[in-house]
Amino acid sequence: MKFIEQFAANGRPSGHNATDPTATSRELTLDRLLNGGGAGRWLMMSDVCKHCVAAPCQHACPTGAIVYNEFANVYIQRDICNGCSYCIAACPFGVITRSDFDGHSHKCTLCYDRQKDGLIPACAKACPTASIQFGPIDELRERARKRVKELHTHGVTGAYLYGDEPTETYTELHSFYLLVDSPATYGLPEAPFNPWLHMLGDYGRTIASALATIVAILAVLFFQGG
Amino acid sequence: MQGHDQTRAIQPGYSTQDVTKVPGWHGLVAWDLLFNNLTTGLFLFAAVGELASPALLGPVARAAYPVALFLLLTDLMMLVLDLGDPLRFHHMLRVFKPSSPMSLGTWSLTIYSLPLTLIVAIEAAQALGLVPSGSIALEWVRMSAVVFGLLPAFGSLAYKGVLFSTSSQPGWKDARWLGGWMANSALMLGCAELLAVSVLTGHAPAAAALRTVAAMLLLLNLIPTGLLFLELRETLSRIYRDQQVHLAVVLSVVGGTLIPLILLLVGDGVPWILGALLFILAGNLAIRSLFLKIPHASHESRSGGKA
Repeated sequence: MKFIEQFAANGRPSGHNATDPTATSRELTLDRLLNGGGAGRWLMMSDVCKHCVAAPCQHACPTGAIVYNEFANVYIQRDICNGCSYCIAACPFGVITRSDFDGHSHKCTLCYDRQKDGLIPACAKACPTASIQFGPIDELRERARKRVKELHTHGVTGAYLYGDEPTETYTELHSFYLLVDSPATYGLPEAPFNPWLHMLGDYGRTIASALATIVAILAVLFFQGG
Repeated sequence: MQGHDQTRAIQPGYSTQDVTKVPGWHGLVAWDLLFNNLTTGLFLFAAVGELASPALLGPVARAAYPVALFLLLTDLMMLVLDLGDPLRFHHMLRVFKPSSPMSLGTWSLTIYSLPLTLIVAIEAAQALGLVPSGSIALEWVRMSAVVFGLLPAFGSLAYKGVLFSTSSQPGWKDARWLGGWMANSALMLGCAELLAVSVLTGHAPAAAALRTVAAMLLLLNLIPTGLLFLELRETLSRIYRDQQVHLAVVLSVVGGTLIPLILLLVGDGVPWILGALLFILAGNLAIRSLFLKIPHASHESRSGGKA
């Protein structure tokens, strides 16, 4: 769970479209806050794996340890991972961590064991306000869009969904979010980018550079009468 | 405690932090990057040289293959030791995923090791008198292994840069020319190594030819280095002070290019050539170490100002 304290110096929380969303709370001390220093808010976000439809970590994994399970969740098979950490480098959301204890990569499994037993993930089960919801993805998207409209009618005009739809540079997320501030405030990338979109071009530049260098080498050798 | 709390400013969410987590790749990986380029560059240069100009470079190439094998084994050891669970290294070979640069690289390194080992084994058997040194059949097998080794050696070289550039890490993800720079610098390193081998084994004509090639490659390497720097400039400026960036550029150009170039042009004896090789190695290790450090430095700078 990510917990964000957000109190603007002018007493108003910074909205998603605020011109300077980071101009919050820098000058506000707890003393001023506790003595009526201004209105503010606390934002919270379930910090789970996003279970991307095309996950860079799964793409990167050289051992085949990261798979999509039968629930279409991205899952690390702990008996196969060898701790190469390439998944950590690839994940644009900073989800995966390598354990100092066993040396393997770990992340949210969306409670695979509970799902296999027909139960919902523990976070969704435990959340007292039902902020974390779990279910068929299409139903969740529809519910979330209705909720955004509802919030807009209640004056929360900055509310929007993050990750519910694919963009030009990233697929949709199976764990998507209803946010009321910029993605960066929640520790999410503003525009997630799948690094594999660069792969062919990068290999192309590598091959071109190597071939050009070899041609230059051979040219110098033959010029010298080699 | 209360006084501390009262003066503490409240942080504006996560907007001032890097989103990504940094993989625990440190010094060992910098050496891995260097040794990967040393072995693949040496083999590729020696093999291409032997095939293109057997009379001039054939004898030197024969002396270079055992060095390439030693460098490969050192590199593989570093790759294994860097894993979170080194005893599971063989899990890399469970699947072949060409879409994953690390999988492609592991398989390329494994396949590359086979012809290289065969070449060295044939040479060792001939040197020990276990097989006739003039055998046409054995020479045919050896040359086939040289040719067969070219593609996996190139794969072993090419995957490394793409592995980093197709990540989500600050700096690395912007390095479109990293692979191109590595390919070029690996061949430059290979040339410098082969030059050192030729000087140490007394192959004067080969050394004379390789000195010119090495000088040309040192200058040529400035092009991909410049392209790489341009891509990293924005991230480096965010992380480091301008003076630090300028100092790093000057040191890498002077130490890694100009000094070895002067040493190569001034003298052709063993001390000059080995001196040039040392500067080239130091410069290349420094650039790889700095590149590897970028995401770590980015996280540090976000939390505590510029490095």
